[in-house]
Amino acid sequence: MKQTLSDRLFSIFAYAVLILFTLFCILPFLLMVIGSFTEESELIVNGYTLFPKAFSIDAYKALLHSDALYNGYGITIIITVAGTITALCISAMLAYSLANKRNVLQTPFLLFCYLPMLFSGGIIPFYIVVSQWLHLQNTIWALILPLLCQPFLVFLLVSFFRTVPEELEEAARIDGANEMRVFFQIILPISKPILASVGLFYALYYWNDWYMGLMFIDNEKLFPLQLILRRMVSNMEAAKNLIPASAAISTVAPTYGVRMATTVLTIGPIILLYPMLQKYFVKGLTVGAVKG
Amino acid sequence: MPNVRKRGAGYKLQQIARNPFLYGMAVPGLLFFLIFSYFPIYGILIAFKNYDFSKGITGSEWVGFRNFNYFFTSDDFWIILRNTLLLNVLFIVFTTLAAVLIALMFNEIRNKYFKRISQSLIFLPYFMSWIVIGMLVQSFLGGESPPVNAWIQNLGFEPVNWMFESALWPWILTIIRVWQGAGYLSIIFLAAITGISEDLYEAARIDGASKMQIMLRITLPLLVPTISIMTLLSVGRIFNGDFAMIYAIIGDNSLLYPTTDVIDTFVFRSMRQLHDFGMSSAVGLFQSVMGLIFVIIANAVTRKMSKESALF
Repeated sequence: MKQTLSDRLFSIFAYAVLILFTLFCILPFLLMVIGSFTEESELIVNGYTLFPKAFSIDAYKALLHSDALYNGYGITIIITVAGTITALCISAMLAYSLANKRNVLQTPFLLFCYLPMLFSGGIIPFYIVVSQWLHLQNTIWALILPLLCQPFLVFLLVSFFRTVPEELEEAARIDGANEMRVFFQIILPISKPILASVGLFYALYYWNDWYMGLMFIDNEKLFPLQLILRRMVSNMEAAKNLIPASAAISTVAPTYGVRMATTVLTIGPIILLYPMLQKYFVKGLTVGAVKG
Repeated sequence: MPNVRKRGAGYKLQQIARNPFLYGMAVPGLLFFLIFSYFPIYGILIAFKNYDFSKGITGSEWVGFRNFNYFFTSDDFWIILRNTLLLNVLFIVFTTLAAVLIALMFNEIRNKYFKRISQSLIFLPYFMSWIVIGMLVQSFLGGESPPVNAWIQNLGFEPVNWMFESALWPWILTIIRVWQGAGYLSIIFLAAITGISEDLYEAARIDGASKMQIMLRITLPLLVPTISIMTLLSVGRIFNGDFAMIYAIIGDNSLLYPTTDVIDTFVFRSMRQLHDFGMSSAVGLFQSVMGLIFVIIANAVTRKMSKESALF
């Protein structure tokens, strides 16, 4: 079809808007990654540039000696793996029970899960429950347990399970399968796409969480990556402290570079997995958006 | 269909006994909500007590509404309330506008590769923790000679002392919010646009409508219900100050409190630094109640517009 002039101008406008917004979204990351590879002296004089004159990997070399960072990685990986698997199991089981038509307690159960989204006790009572009643402060459980069930993700699963045809279950039951077998052998295998997207959301929550750490963790040995990074946001010296003195690389301690390099390492796994994960997130979101 | 008359308490018990696994599956999840959501609701009592750690919730003495009076009569109250509402309104308005614009523009683009790459990249900030974003903000605006100042000086403007200028921060935070959230929201809008019937476009094209006309007369009007619902959902959360974002970016920089301190950061600070549990819970309770009222109003409005989309 022949395009009129106004249509063509409009297309150009559309491209321009999107290119500008895309650059706006991506430039800070580019500057950060390049900054982490820039020589410290140049960072101090010129700030962050896209084309630095002096390239350096001192910041990463320095971080190689940082026990705190290894420790943070360990904690973050533990809570992400353990948390995601447990959260996914609990949420999928709960959602299946909530979505099942034969559940005579469906309405009260749904209400029970729904009310906390509308009304909460606030952070003080939450803090008291976790620290005074459950005594979780300064344990790794404080980083895992409070995030186990996200109502939004549970409802995402519920709306998926509702679309599973009842006949599938009935047929299996007539063949003598009990509830457990129906769930594990029929329902879970066909739910892989939604389980993948919900699992990814949980993994992201765990990887990015720092709120629980901020509230309940004082012991540096239990600091997840995000909390180590947070320290550096508020305190320049923290970047220096991350590196043992024996590992001094150059005459200038690469404080700015270390901050950037730590940030790159913190988001590293997300950036690396992102191209693969992104389509699942979009899929999960669209499922939820159709009817949340 | 099961027989309705049979649905008494006895029938229910019988059903539960017959399918222990179906109900057992829900137990861990329900326990989670009981412990982490319902126990804290009991803790609301603290708002009416002079909370003493050693005595616990039940042991502490009642003080009626003293904690509330204390807060409502302080100058902080109005500042925090204003900041919370103002920041949320700025966030909602600008993120929605940007997301709608992006979604509409994406809809005009036919180049599949450009679309895919651009979409992936604008979605990326949504995956970053607020701490990482806080670090980026700090790296660009913080320190003795912020890099952003070098840029604006090159353009011939005066350098700005970002960390002292509280008046600028509502806008800075809005820009960060749009940067982080507009891509994500635009995907939801784009999903809604995909649902618009192809027939309408076909008919418009046959009638000789330009791309611009199609966008303004078909896509945009049909997107309005989704936009309103997403907006109403955010309005329902307008009393929540988004602690994670604001604390990660502003932290303990008290120079910026006049415009950036919100209910959540205020509560957190009075808990961690002042140890005033009574007043902090009173503030938290006020926030929850106002939030609930707003959710109910927002839901009623949504229901009026489209029954399907209401929350309850």
